[in-house]
Amino acid sequence: MTDAATTGTDAGSTAGRDLAGCPVKHYDFAQSAEVGTYLRLADELREEGPVFFNSFAQGYWVFTRHDAVREIYRQADLFSSESFTPHEPNPVYRFVPTQIDPPEHVKYRQILNPWFSPNAVEALVPEARAICARLLDELADRGECDFINDFALRYPTEVFLTSIGVPTDRCDDFVGWVEGFFRGFSGNPEHLDGMVAALGSIRTYWEGVLEERRHAAVPRGRDLATHLLGSTIDGRPLTDTEMLDMLVVLVLAGLDTTQASLGFLFRHLAQHPEHRRQVVDDPTLVPTLVEESLRLYTIIFADGRKVTRDEEFFGVQLRAGDMVCGLVAGANRDPRVYDRADEFVVDRTGTHHLGFAAGPHRCLGAHLARREMQIVVEEWLARIPDFSLAESQPPIERGGGAMLALQHLYLQWNVST
Amino acid sequence: VERLDVRVTVHDSRCTGHGRCYSLSPQIFGSDDQGFVVPRGEPIAIDAEHEDAARLAVASCPEAAIELLAD
Repeated sequence: MTDAATTGTDAGSTAGRDLAGCPVKHYDFAQSAEVGTYLRLADELREEGPVFFNSFAQGYWVFTRHDAVREIYRQADLFSSESFTPHEPNPVYRFVPTQIDPPEHVKYRQILNPWFSPNAVEALVPEARAICARLLDELADRGECDFINDFALRYPTEVFLTSIGVPTDRCDDFVGWVEGFFRGFSGNPEHLDGMVAALGSIRTYWEGVLEERRHAAVPRGRDLATHLLGSTIDGRPLTDTEMLDMLVVLVLAGLDTTQASLGFLFRHLAQHPEHRRQVVDDPTLVPTLVEESLRLYTIIFADGRKVTRDEEFFGVQLRAGDMVCGLVAGANRDPRVYDRADEFVVDRTGTHHLGFAAGPHRCLGAHLARREMQIVVEEWLARIPDFSLAESQPPIERGGGAMLALQHLYLQWNVST
Repeated sequence: VERLDVRVTVHDSRCTGHGRCYSLSPQIFGSDDQGFVVPRGEPIAIDAEHEDAARLAVASCPEAAIELLAD
């Protein structure tokens, strides 16, 4: 662990660009750090100013406040999703529809949207609840656990694989592949080879599934691969490349994000008995509790886009090909938008946060993620209403170049005998 | 006090299917199979008893796609 993330300097290369007085800073957001580091940093950067140029990698613009971040998401014609990693303008992967711009983008979303709509998610709730209950029943009598590795990595993986119709016996493989991908995705060059290997493994898995489904005597119901094989775009079937580019990103986006968000929520609950009591006394508050956690502990530290044309934006002159990013985690804690912005308000309503992005690329799995999180809160508190941190030192969070995530979360509770 | 007539309109070009409105205020909003709100692009008259639900939906939309009109 280093604290490189928190020691920004005022130096750094701007590749000869005249930035017309825009502040230049140098931050490596890829480094892991003590839990809370990156949210604190997002708050500090937001209050220092609305925009700066980060001289890390090839250099990119960083917008820190809610108004600009929302506009970056909305103006998909100015901000292309061709790359969404500000430190890497030309990624080795191609995710569909994540990296597809309008007008093609919506054609892929129309294939996937019904699968992840609120109605589809509701139909999945009994199975998701059963998976959650089984995993928690295994834990409850132990009196302690590493919430991340004993539960949070496994639960969303089983639910997601069930929702798309593949067996859960490869659950551990998926967990390892997804972890391997995000270690490299953060921008740490040491882990790039591991990222490429993980992408290859996921792709190989789906190639096998597609091959099997293609030759199935009877089409399978509630099976995403079968659904894609039968889908068309502009009147033609999807190519194998398109299907694989879709299936790979669904796995990556669906598994890591949910475990990461659960980790921060349960660290908060372990530290705040008054909030646990509030939702135990009034379970109708579970949805607002989850929503507030998504706002206050947003795991998307920064989200990148590539500029399509020369244009002035929030006081700086962008050029075609520039990378920009919005500090989503800071935008969701912006006191210009939210009252008591830095407080966890369990019954807060009207929380129009950007934790699931906005604009055409808003998170496909948002409804599933919310529902999965709500189920965990309900099932956990029914078994373990009181618990606390069992940490000798604060846990480490993966750096903000990828999604923020706790690497461990040790919890303890009393077991009645 | 004379009550104002309250209406809301969902701007079609702004809705991207977050689903906050129909999840939080199902008395007013429904959804299509793509997960987008219905109806879109036309004013919806709001009964007095549903006015709070309408305001909640307006405040919860990440796209600011719902406009509330009172006259």
